[in-house]
Amino acid sequence: MIKRSFFTLTQPKLKYDLIEPDPKEPESIPVPSSLILLLNEPIDSTRQSLIKKGTCVKKGEKICLYDGSTEYTISPVAGTISSIDTYSDDFGNISTYIIIKSNQSQTTDMSALAYDLKEDIASADEYLRPLPGAPPLAMLASEDSKINTIVITCADSDLLSTTRQYIAVKYLDKIKEGALILKRLSNAAKICAIVPQGLKIQADFDSMQVVNTANEYPSNLPAMVLKDHFNTILPAGKTPSDVGYCFISAEAVVSLANAYKNKTAGFEKVLTIIGKQGNKYRVKATIGTPLRKIFNQFSIHINDQDRIVIGGPMTGFATFTPHHPVRPDMDVVIVQDRDHIPELSDNPCVNCGKCIQACPAGIPVNMLVRYLEVDQYEEAADKYDLESCIECGLCAYVCTARIPLYQYIRLGKHEILKLRADI
Amino acid sequence: MNNNKLIVSHAPFWHDGDSLFQMNLNIMIATLPAIIFGIIQFGAPAVGVLALSCSSAMAWELIMNLVSKKRISINDLDSAVIGLLFGMMLPAITPWWVVITGTFVAIIIGKMIFGGIGANPFNPALLGMAILMLSWNQLLDFDTALVNFSFDFTELAPLAAVKFQGAGTADLFPIADLFMGKQVGAIGSTFGLGIIIGGIFLILRGYIRWEISLSFILGIVVTAFMFNMVNADEYAGPMFHLFSGYTLMGAFFLATENSSSPVNKIPMFIYGFLGGFMIILMRNIGVYPDGTVLAILLINLVNPIIDNIRPKALGKVENNA
Repeated sequence: MIKRSFFTLTQPKLKYDLIEPDPKEPESIPVPSSLILLLNEPIDSTRQSLIKKGTCVKKGEKICLYDGSTEYTISPVAGTISSIDTYSDDFGNISTYIIIKSNQSQTTDMSALAYDLKEDIASADEYLRPLPGAPPLAMLASEDSKINTIVITCADSDLLSTTRQYIAVKYLDKIKEGALILKRLSNAAKICAIVPQGLKIQADFDSMQVVNTANEYPSNLPAMVLKDHFNTILPAGKTPSDVGYCFISAEAVVSLANAYKNKTAGFEKVLTIIGKQGNKYRVKATIGTPLRKIFNQFSIHINDQDRIVIGGPMTGFATFTPHHPVRPDMDVVIVQDRDHIPELSDNPCVNCGKCIQACPAGIPVNMLVRYLEVDQYEEAADKYDLESCIECGLCAYVCTARIPLYQYIRLGKHEILKLRADI
Repeated sequence: MNNNKLIVSHAPFWHDGDSLFQMNLNIMIATLPAIIFGIIQFGAPAVGVLALSCSSAMAWELIMNLVSKKRISINDLDSAVIGLLFGMMLPAITPWWVVITGTFVAIIIGKMIFGGIGANPFNPALLGMAILMLSWNQLLDFDTALVNFSFDFTELAPLAAVKFQGAGTADLFPIADLFMGKQVGAIGSTFGLGIIIGGIFLILRGYIRWEISLSFILGIVVTAFMFNMVNADEYAGPMFHLFSGYTLMGAFFLATENSSSPVNKIPMFIYGFLGGFMIILMRNIGVYPDGTVLAILLINLVNPIIDNIRPKALGKVENNA
């Protein structure tokens, strides 16, 4: 954990990690005997499910719950479904998890199903959504999409992670190949890439426009990238796709290129794992691998009251189980020892002004939290700019009173969306 | 499957390690130069006043916690800081009951009934002082309080002397003497150098906002300079005002109190400058020799209004319809 320096006249400086000059090869995790897949659709007990316990699946086969479901996932192994149950995330969104027992009897190098991929975005969306890196194909393929710029991010958006940089350094040719495919498939007028300042690869991008992002958090967050490099201020409460920008990770572009080359999906996801002492491992694991398998390989012991953080220390989420699977959009996993978990408190705001100094969006966090604490979400949004938040988490990082500010803000935004939906 | 019970919480999962305890501890450390000098200057009675002030402030908060059946909150040291600052503003010879009454007003009325830490609209220590000033003004008169002390410098309270005997008496107090603490005054407010060292320490540590301190001092200097230019016989110069009375304490420890001061850039400058401006107005035109206490309470009062001047948030769409 990065502590406050002794002299702190200015706001905190959190630096992104830059990948080592000659990046290590990721360590491969063997395909486990059972994999867990998450499907973003709740179980509906009134409908006849397409899959049930005992259903056999082939490697690369599309799995969806019901006839006409738009959500699907792809089985990374050949095997049988051993369990289907309900999973709920930290905001109570319900989805479904499917455990697949891999068929050990068959040879593991059995090739995956070939897809009938056509040169249009709908066809890509039909098969390739769960590729490593989670390409936002659904967004690109949707009827009312107004995307005119696709931004390939070779910079990791959260601290500690070096996954995207590794991909960018290692598979630059694939990224260029994938960019061409994206250009052919989508209607986007422009494709450009963002690269962290210290990474010396922009010359290799040929004609593609490349922007360098500063190595200080939060300059790689989409809203900051738009503001600093594209002269676009993200209107409050809007997403980049609303203003015509689509952010896609370097890994997604690479796996898209591979998929079009081989006419089948890939399942190997590159991850950065941060151990309890801050030691860093780079691994390549099959999507669906339970995190515990990875921890075992590096003898990271998970004890009671430790914390497993998925997706970075500032914007990630904590999982409740070490069996959480590797997912397509997972770049970094951090294990925190229970002695290193910072304490939060129920102190009221003391108005010290640190959050105001730290906030990159200029939100009066000190006033905002007073409203959020008492559930006044409408006022918080109208008067105190709740929806301008770009979700960087710096306010809660610096809070002297140790108020979980970012949690309040995320909850507030969530509740505002619910309120609006009810009207 | 062995399932561990993991901690689940929301982002961010890091913290810079700061806490209210750390903040208040640093403020107390910053007061040390001024306090140690005060104790050397005024001897054991000063220790007594400071100790009683600090401990009674904490005791009042504890009592209030118990009475209102709330979590015990004295371990964040907030009431200790209030008590300490309050003690620093008192003459070394202050009767015990005055100290206890003052901390009662400061902690119970100034802080706890508004909801405790962070909720006070006024600086609690100053509220305590204001009540004492209104009720027992003669006890806070430094000339009478310190009548039994003998010093090797002018034994007159500078501000009172200038107030009642004209600006000519300011010549009795060389600026260097005032700066090095050779003046009659409160326990913690005489040693200008020590207060400035403490203040700079806090600014560098990030616990007070430099904008407030700077503009406060600027307000004093500019206003006093203008008065001095208009009539040098009646109004003392800016440096005299800066290094006498509670001015420096106000700039670094009192006006910067977190919950009663603004947090945005422009409001901080307005707030500080207004404070300095009001002090000189009160000293030169008002009835009290030192206006610091009332001036800062006054700017505390305008703080919520001026703190509305703030930058537009990112992507905010103005809805003027």
